[in-house]
Amino acid sequence: MSTAEGALGGVRAGSRRRASAGGIRSGRYAFLFLSPALLIFAVFTIGPAIFVLYISLFDWNLLNTAMSKFVGLQNYRQIGSSHDFWHSIVTSVYFVGCVVAGSTIFGLGIALLLSSRGIVRRIVRLAVLTPYFTPLVATSIVWVWIFNPQFGLLDSVLRMLHVPEVGWLQSTTWAMPAVIVYTLWHDLGFTVIIFLAGLATVSTDLREAARVDGARYRNEIRDVVLPQLTQTIVFVVIITTIDSLQAFTQIYTMTQGGPLGATTTTGFLLYQESFVFYHTGFGAAIAVVLFVVIALFTLLQLRVSRREA
Amino acid sequence: MHWHRRSLIVAVVLLVSAVAAIAAYGATARSAGTVNITFMEAMASGTQKPALELLTKRFEAQNPNIKVTLIAEPNYGVLQQKEQASIAAGNPPTIGQAYENWAAGYADAKAIIPISGYVNNKKIGVKPADQKAIWKGVWKDLFLPDGKIWMWPFNKSDYVMYYNADKLAKAGLQVPKTWVQFATVAKALTKNGNWAWSTDTGTLAAPADGTIVLMAMIHAFGGDWIKDGKPTLNTKAAIKALGYLADLKKSGALQIGTNYPGETALGAGRSAFDLSTIAGYPYELSADGGKFSMKVAALPSGRNGQGNAMAGTNIVIFSKSSNAQRAAAWQYMKFLSEPRQTAYWAEETGYLPVTQKALPIMKRYIKTHPYQQIAAQSLQVARGNPPYAWWTTAEGQLATALQAVLDNGGNPSHALATAQQKAMAAANG
Repeated sequence: MSTAEGALGGVRAGSRRRASAGGIRSGRYAFLFLSPALLIFAVFTIGPAIFVLYISLFDWNLLNTAMSKFVGLQNYRQIGSSHDFWHSIVTSVYFVGCVVAGSTIFGLGIALLLSSRGIVRRIVRLAVLTPYFTPLVATSIVWVWIFNPQFGLLDSVLRMLHVPEVGWLQSTTWAMPAVIVYTLWHDLGFTVIIFLAGLATVSTDLREAARVDGARYRNEIRDVVLPQLTQTIVFVVIITTIDSLQAFTQIYTMTQGGPLGATTTTGFLLYQESFVFYHTGFGAAIAVVLFVVIALFTLLQLRVSRREA
Repeated sequence: MHWHRRSLIVAVVLLVSAVAAIAAYGATARSAGTVNITFMEAMASGTQKPALELLTKRFEAQNPNIKVTLIAEPNYGVLQQKEQASIAAGNPPTIGQAYENWAAGYADAKAIIPISGYVNNKKIGVKPADQKAIWKGVWKDLFLPDGKIWMWPFNKSDYVMYYNADKLAKAGLQVPKTWVQFATVAKALTKNGNWAWSTDTGTLAAPADGTIVLMAMIHAFGGDWIKDGKPTLNTKAAIKALGYLADLKKSGALQIGTNYPGETALGAGRSAFDLSTIAGYPYELSADGGKFSMKVAALPSGRNGQGNAMAGTNIVIFSKSSNAQRAAAWQYMKFLSEPRQTAYWAEETGYLPVTQKALPIMKRYIKTHPYQQIAAQSLQVARGNPPYAWWTTAEGQLATALQAVLDNGGNPSHALATAQQKAMAAANG
């Protein structure tokens, strides 16, 4: 090896050591800056999640934990044989299915309409996006009044049209559709934003080429736009599924899970069992099951994101 | 030895700080002879808040060595959650409002203490004559099944019938005194887009006025919701009461809603009655807005006389308190229940005086507010929530049965049989 090569090797080795030392230092600094967030995450998310798993193995006494009794997997066995739990699963599938389908179809439709230019577009965009930023509790209460069978707006319109009134939140048939309508009204803004971002990445050249070739608008959407939006659609489906599995506030405010359990989703059931009837261990087991389902959807979403990247 | 001396100084500083911290902590319970107690309550709306604050100031003026801190929560639902969370965290208030079934759950978890010793104490207790003067229903309500007194009365109310006197007069109808008369009058008033009465059936997780009125009717029809410490939700009287309500609903005389539907409909002039707690009087008056003459009558009676359900809470002492705090808390609780204070509380808030001895003090008020006496007399027959933790489930099942029949057209017998089965399962653990 020549002196120059040796020197170069020395310089390279020195550079690698400096780069390595710099990497270690920047790793330490990164950890330092991340640690407050990690601490909060550990204390308020990871810790409680592990504790819920622990509680699910007990007949847990919420008011006096010393009186709790270890029961192993009994709470999970009880889930298997609980009519209320399986009813809540069916209700959740109903709620999630409608919200996801509605959010995707209406969100995409509205985004396509809003992707044209004009001042009207800005006004409509504001009208669609604003509900997403309103508080869930306050707006749920407003909608309770909209759905009021005697004094509400909806039944007043039905009476004007000489159509039979609907009990809405007092009806086992209509209570869930009412909650779904509210949820779509509140959350559509989010999916519209995602789809607008997705539409911005669609190749305008391809769309123009299709138009030049004589494609109608609906063919252009079906054959050019939708294929390019596939990843966005999958993302929206997964995210809205995760969100709607965790829905609670609007059900608590509008129906309290009724009437007759018509709106008791799994999320509401775990609140009811844990904090109304004090079956805390059983409620914790339901929470663990829900966590596993949501975790599976989250993993699926991560996989899709990685593939997109 | 430089580092050794520095370490010693640090250790001394830490020790002094620790001692100071412990002393400061002790000071929160007792500082310079003052005993600090905290009262977690839900008297946060309308005239309730200023009335309770004034009573508390009066108490502190008479007892300068006791400081009472009020912790107001917006409603009973939040109050229960906060009490549960504070008990679970090992940091409950000194005293708190509690329904009977809450108290039963707290007692099972050893989170509250019995107060028989304070009540019957010769020096600081309540004299036997004063104990007898407490309304019968209110007095019975203070006990848990072990026969000890665990609660002390505070904001009690029961159910009355608010009515639009102008509507009844215009229709030439008398104020109904029995449930049979009520059905006749209700159906007669159901026409031209108006109806007789609106109520909220409640849900499994949140029973409401409709559930309570059903309970009062069961009692009026000769039944009960509990026997020998177990639920009895599907008695003949219960089936009859639920069938009665189903008939009213079918005729259109009864409408179902949420968010205080009775008050809304009465205030809007669309219905003629609201069956609700007397504590809601200021809100009913506000909904009416002077549009018509709103009056109050006792709940209709059945073959068993008047049935009524007691609403409102008692006060419990949490077990984490010190002896000094417990003694101070008892003094405060007793003060609130004394004739002068409970009379003031009733006049300001619409709740009822817990003792009959308050009525002479309220003579002038009752002349202009005769409904107070009507409601107070009902306390003789009013029944509180059964003092069992499982009652939460049982009451929820009763609300579900009500929903099944009134919202879904279900059969009363079948609905109550299902409710009874589930309530019994909860009672049997």
